[in-house]
Amino acid sequence: MKTELLIIGAGAAGMAAALSAWEAGCRDILLVDRRDRPGGILPQCLHKGFGLACFGTELTGPSYAEQLAQRLKITNVRLALGTEVLAIDADKTALLSDRYGLTELHFDRLILASGCREKSIGALPVAGTRPAGIFTAGQAQEMMNLRGQDPGNEILILGSGDLGLIMARQLVLAGKHVIAVVEKEAHYGGLARNFRRCIEPYRIPLLVRTTVTEIHGHGRISGVTLRRLDSGEEEQISCDTLITALGLIPERELVRKLGDPDWLFLAGNCRRVHDLVDSAVAEAERIGKEATR
Amino acid sequence: MKHVDVVVIGGGLLGCFAARNLCRWNLHIALLEAREDVCTGISRANTAIVYPGYDHKPGSLKAELCVRANARFDALCRELDLPFSRCGSLMLSFGEKADAVLKKKYENGLSLGVPGLRLLSGEEAQGMEPALAEGVTSALYAPTAGTVNPWELGIAACESAVANGAELCLNTRVLGIGRSLEGYRIETDRGLFSCRAVVNCAGLSADRVQELLFPAAVHIAPDAADYLILDKAAENKPTHIIQYEPEDGGKGLSAVPTVEGSLLLGPSERENEVDFAVSAEGLSFVRERAARVLPGLDLRDTIRSFAAVRPNPRRSDGSSIGSFVIEHPDPGFWSLIGIKTPGLTCADELGRHLADQVASFLNAGVNETFDGHRSGVKKMRGMSREQRNAAIRENPDCGEVLCCCEDVTRAEALEAIRRGATTLDGVKRRVGAGMGRCQGSRCQQKLIALLAQELGVSEAAICKDGAGSEILGSRRYEN
Repeated sequence: MKTELLIIGAGAAGMAAALSAWEAGCRDILLVDRRDRPGGILPQCLHKGFGLACFGTELTGPSYAEQLAQRLKITNVRLALGTEVLAIDADKTALLSDRYGLTELHFDRLILASGCREKSIGALPVAGTRPAGIFTAGQAQEMMNLRGQDPGNEILILGSGDLGLIMARQLVLAGKHVIAVVEKEAHYGGLARNFRRCIEPYRIPLLVRTTVTEIHGHGRISGVTLRRLDSGEEEQISCDTLITALGLIPERELVRKLGDPDWLFLAGNCRRVHDLVDSAVAEAERIGKEATR
Repeated sequence: MKHVDVVVIGGGLLGCFAARNLCRWNLHIALLEAREDVCTGISRANTAIVYPGYDHKPGSLKAELCVRANARFDALCRELDLPFSRCGSLMLSFGEKADAVLKKKYENGLSLGVPGLRLLSGEEAQGMEPALAEGVTSALYAPTAGTVNPWELGIAACESAVANGAELCLNTRVLGIGRSLEGYRIETDRGLFSCRAVVNCAGLSADRVQELLFPAAVHIAPDAADYLILDKAAENKPTHIIQYEPEDGGKGLSAVPTVEGSLLLGPSERENEVDFAVSAEGLSFVRERAARVLPGLDLRDTIRSFAAVRPNPRRSDGSSIGSFVIEHPDPGFWSLIGIKTPGLTCADELGRHLADQVASFLNAGVNETFDGHRSGVKKMRGMSREQRNAAIRENPDCGEVLCCCEDVTRAEALEAIRRGATTLDGVKRRVGAGMGRCQGSRCQQKLIALLAQELGVSEAAICKDGAGSEILGSRRYEN
């Protein structure tokens, strides 16, 4: 199989890149995604606040994704969902796997729009046991909003990036007790807007210059040790769930060994982590054009 | 009451291999495991090294079994259909004192017949392994050293035992042992077993299990150890097992390039701890040692840390014991108490050694129908493109990647469940889902749904490992 432009990842950036490449005249575009719906992580972001710049109004994640998907429908961009890209070779072939078989796809140019993954707690030198009940924020969001899975009840959030702040609010609204949001820096990590909307109105305690040093519990997590970084004081608190928002790592594993060939373009969060979907989309539109020239 | 010939207590590596080797004889065997799965204790956390055997005292059981077990390891892993990497090991010295230690080990190894041993200069070692720190003064190279996934090995042995007629009884905790007309009466929380012989492989509880009926001359003084795992994408990983022998005689470090492609670093050592809980000091120790020996590693590539517990055998006066302890307090009762390094290497040999004694005591005939071959779960990851495509054509689930870090498909996860995984860790140990760099944050939620569907239970009932480790809260959201 052959395509002129392969785009990996049908999230906001991938769809925007596909649309702008189409508008720039590219007529042979294949957009692949491992999920079974387009939108990347947008469908799990049920809150409002997306799209002020691009659409002039505040959309929820699913409707933002829907806007892009609708625009894609009136193009001939082919969308292959439920498709995992297993490898990218330097001779411009991609190896795709789906439920029908393995496909070697030759392409002229590639836009990688594979987003990021969340840093997991395993990466931190945290002592203690390794019980159940520890999730990343994005994972908890997917569990609650797309799968109807309940992460737990007495919840501590480690990390105050946007995902941590937004999940704090969602958990409170779902009737959970968010014990605190814990942040090692002196200031919360996310946007001021998210702090004002998600933390302040619900009076969720924010503990800055604080971190988790030890996890307790056999079977399910029963608590953690918090350390105040300035005083060195430690305190043990009980919780049945720990949600981590430790930061996002651009997912570039597929192209790690390829260097920087002229046929490879990065777009969206795998290029750099964006605060706003709109800015990822704007960048992806530029890259879609660039990849078409 | 259930009547069998032999009860094996404990479904760790040793118990699984004891059961498998007992199946070589015409014996009815029950393998009792207290937990929900096999290989959940000592076997699940260790250094994963198949040792060449140069360390042990000539004439000792350890020396004899280890050298023989190492030589047979390729055949064993072929028979059990699991990956074994004979990557070789380099033990490093950074000074005269450690040079002398290495030389002694080298000579000891030669006298034991360890094949291929060589003492290398620092330059030679660095030539073989460019990632090493400057200043290596000598290295002991053992080309026969290797690595295997310990729980994969144990699970394979268990599957092989079951395929040859052994009965696996999970969630079956031994509460008491008494005498019966036949021999022994084993009281468990799932009923009584009567048997003619007992093989006690109860790991950290082996001394206490023996004491249910006999005194134990040897007790277990557990100590804990910490390990780190670096992502397979980490740069400057060694290709050999690196062992560091410190000049001051203190605790060294092993760096093991695992069969999965990650790098295992550790262990630290902490005395008198039974808990599988990681210590902060242990982690910093491992990090500090790793930075000293392999300075090119970026420890930010760490994806997980974990703790292991080792069963040190001690005499009643508190002195430690260097050899394997096989207690035999009664004609039909054997206990493996405090089998530590190289227990993984010797698991099959120890099992064979015990099975032969049990069979001779019971006058058992050879089981002519024993078939040692076991087929592992077909892993898509290692397949050629043609094989993989054919597998998907045959079963579409082979085309659906569920764990994207480790490239594990829905078909493999389903096969893990079919083979007895009932928990997330059970699936992880059988097919590797969730072992990679995102540590399950992208596949766990899918696996919970799959486990619930296949086991016919609610998602809320799915556990990470043992009872009480339910992953979800109780409330279900409706979309």
